[in-house]
Amino acid sequence: MTSAKIKERLGRTLFAFGAAICIISVLAIFVFLIVKSAPAFNKIGIFDFIFGNKWAPQGSDTYESALKGSYGIFTMISGTAASTVGALLIGGVLGYFTAIFLVFYCPQKLKPIASTIINLLSGIPSVVYGFFGIAFLLPLLSKMAPNNGSGLLATSIILGVMILPTVVSLSKTALEAVPNQYYDGSVAIGASHTATVFKIMVPSARGGIIASLILGIGRALGETMAVVMVAGNSPTYPSGLFNSFRTMTANIVLEMGYAGQVQEGALIATGVVLLMFVLIINLMFNLISRKTVDGIVKRPKESKLKAKAFLFSQKIKEGAGSISYKIKSSKIGEAVAKASGIAVALILAMIIVFIFVKGLPTLVTKPQLIYGKFEFGSENITILPAIICTVLVVIISLLIAVPIGIMTAIFLNEYAKRESVFVRIVRGAINILSGVPSIVYGLFGMITFVKIFGGSASILSGSLTVSIMLLPTIVRSTEESLKGVSNSLREASLALGAGKLRTILKVALPSALPGILSAVILSIGRVISESAPLLYTMGSVIKAVPKGILEGGATLAVALYQLSGEGWYINEAYATAVVLIILVLGLNIFAEQVGKTLNRRLKGDANERKSKKSA
Amino acid sequence: MKENQKNQLEASFGQSISVKDASLWYSDFQAIKSISIEIPEKKVTAFIGPSGCGKSTLLKCFNRMNDLVQGCKITGEFLIGDVDIYGKIDVNELRKNVGMVFQKPNPFPMSVYDNIAYGPRTFGIHKRSELDEIVEESLKQAAMWEELKDRLNKSALGLSGGQQQRLCIARALAVKPKILLMDEPTSALDPISTGKIEELCDELKKTATIVIVTHNMQQAARISDYTGFFLLGELVEYAETDEIFTSPKDERTEKYITGRFG
Ligand SMILES: Nc1ncnc2c1ncn2[C@@H]1O[C@H](COP(=O)(O)OP(=O)(O)OP(=O)(O)O)[C@@H](O)[C@H]1O
Ligand SMILES: [Mg+2]
Repeated sequence: MTSAKIKERLGRTLFAFGAAICIISVLAIFVFLIVKSAPAFNKIGIFDFIFGNKWAPQGSDTYESALKGSYGIFTMISGTAASTVGALLIGGVLGYFTAIFLVFYCPQKLKPIASTIINLLSGIPSVVYGFFGIAFLLPLLSKMAPNNGSGLLATSIILGVMILPTVVSLSKTALEAVPNQYYDGSVAIGASHTATVFKIMVPSARGGIIASLILGIGRALGETMAVVMVAGNSPTYPSGLFNSFRTMTANIVLEMGYAGQVQEGALIATGVVLLMFVLIINLMFNLISRKTVDGIVKRPKESKLKAKAFLFSQKIKEGAGSISYKIKSSKIGEAVAKASGIAVALILAMIIVFIFVKGLPTLVTKPQLIYGKFEFGSENITILPAIICTVLVVIISLLIAVPIGIMTAIFLNEYAKRESVFVRIVRGAINILSGVPSIVYGLFGMITFVKIFGGSASILSGSLTVSIMLLPTIVRSTEESLKGVSNSLREASLALGAGKLRTILKVALPSALPGILSAVILSIGRVISESAPLLYTMGSVIKAVPKGILEGGATLAVALYQLSGEGWYINEAYATAVVLIILVLGLNIFAEQVGKTLNRRLKGDANERKSKKSA
Repeated sequence: MKENQKNQLEASFGQSISVKDASLWYSDFQAIKSISIEIPEKKVTAFIGPSGCGKSTLLKCFNRMNDLVQGCKITGEFLIGDVDIYGKIDVNELRKNVGMVFQKPNPFPMSVYDNIAYGPRTFGIHKRSELDEIVEESLKQAAMWEELKDRLNKSALGLSGGQQQRLCIARALAVKPKILLMDEPTSALDPISTGKIEELCDELKKTATIVIVTHNMQQAARISDYTGFFLLGELVEYAETDEIFTSPKDERTEKYITGRFG
């Protein structure tokens, strides 16, 4: 009897411990980044660092001696700002109209396919986007550019495509949340479908759409690898569409590998500045989306909307003349929405077809690329070591992140009192973790794990770094799944005399399994896709199969980055990209299927019964 | 030694329920207003009354399910046998002895077998032969062994609503409760399933005390030995069922019953 009590107590403590790790991770990220960058801020001067427009670091600069190099990042802040605006102009606008298309114009049959396409876009690794940029977009742009095509335009296009899924899926959710009665009301008055969509539905979802754009901005700000591959990267202002420029993220990736003392501090400081930008954006997102959610729940605007619909109908009755302009603009909107939907499908098709056409032949003619033995200096490179490294990172990072994530979710959903201070802090920590750009995780891993485990990059350090990144997704989806478990099941277990711990472990958690499992599979895809956080924590050299987890090595994504930078392995790069895409997209589809199948199995043979009847 | 202690504790939960001056608040809202009631052992006692009058709330006091509600405050004395259930006791042990069947069938998303074995396993029985025996016995008690013996390993969620509810009863019986609380156990079921469960009550009261909440007057009249009529958190009248239905003392009871009998 007492041993049962001890178990209960132990369980609770363990779950709270998981939650505490989330908080500790956030604190550690902030403390380490700030401590490690403070001397650089101090030496360079905060003002000169942020507003200085010359970046010419000297590897020999130390905190003790006088500075020989220049450390101003204003050109890069401008670069980040410009490419973000560019991405918003392309991806934001395209995403906005695509969402409208999906909700209001997409034929019912195509809707699931369209949603899958958007999901797949978000699954494609950023190095693959970058590689597509190098291999397809730059050559195309170079025909009208004075240079090889790199610069602001290429970066904006690639970033734009990358933020599309974020913008589309959130805007779509916002549009779908608009109560149907608005639509019915407007149409009943005699307004056309298109007029209703653009005059009533879209304005009602404005808050959610703005939130989606802000989240898109956050993504664009933090994106690293794809940008590095197409921006040109000279530390100058983005003065034209085809002028080489550099973002803050690129700055970190490009120089971290061989930085001197002050330079390293300055790069970490760049990470701090970037993090501040991203946090502000995320804060804005949270504020706006909370307002919107409240707005949709409480619907204070209903009367306002009704009034609007009424005015609108009056105008229609007054005669089409006075509003023909507005109707016309709606018509244009309809056309743009349809065009956007088609464009997005085409873009995805183009990326995949292009890479497969270029890469599949290599895979078929030189399959030893995948399983061949690695030889130093050989012409015949193999990605087998990279595949093994990838598998190892996936396994280790999941072994760390999944238990902690699940424990945290259990604590939040089953134990914590709603809105207690601790819970708020944990939720805040998870929000922050989900917003931290991947390159900042890389920086953090480099100054903590890599230092702890012997100073050189290793599979272990890389896995630890990535596992923190995975926490938010796993916590959130586990919590969602636990919330979905009917309380009556918990009650039934408790009423039988089972303790809380047993109820959670035997009843609640198993019922939440489908959701947890699909989150885990998606996390695998995420680890496979990541490169920025691994470059300096795990290493970027494609070498022999690692002998242990304290050795380093490139994962597939990192290998693709390396191969695409070195012109003579371009075919191997294409082939690697094909492997990556197949893996990640396969996992995405698999996750969806697993969720569905398990859910069905949990729902019992209810279906079986039905099918038997019909048979 | 430990075993001994457990047995003593188990033995001490009796089968009668005695409530003295009980009140219950959900935050500021008083759902039960100083109710006293004596529920005799091995009888069926029915709680009737309009929606929201506190029947379920009182029922859940008997196995302390109200502990799960935040902001719920309870005063008064609750004795089961002569154990003060709000005193120093093991709540899980209490709930083992005071089983509960809910309004909506809530089988776990597991096999029929695992559903029934869940309770015994909770209390440390893991031997397959023992569990087999308990499962068979419980299903027989719930009069569904014949129906289910060939599909013990199928998911319980594939059963019909009536079967699910009887399975939940079997699941509750598997830990051999001394008292069985049923909160509108048939309100979601068809007349045939309802009849089966009513028969079951008759059978079960040979060994256990049954307290059943129902909205169905005929049901209360058919199966219960005692009936309590509740109104707005008060126990208006409590007596033998025949008496309540033939010669209610309180005018409100009479109105409710005649109104309902139509
Ligand atoms: N968890 C709770 N929090 C706050 N109030 C509650 C809660 N549960 C019940 N109540 C309130 O307590 C009162 C009694 O509820 P109870 O569920 O006991 O009624 P009931 O007699 O079982 O009704 P019904 O026949 O509809 O099941 C109701 O007014 C109800 O709204
Ligand atoms: Mg009730």
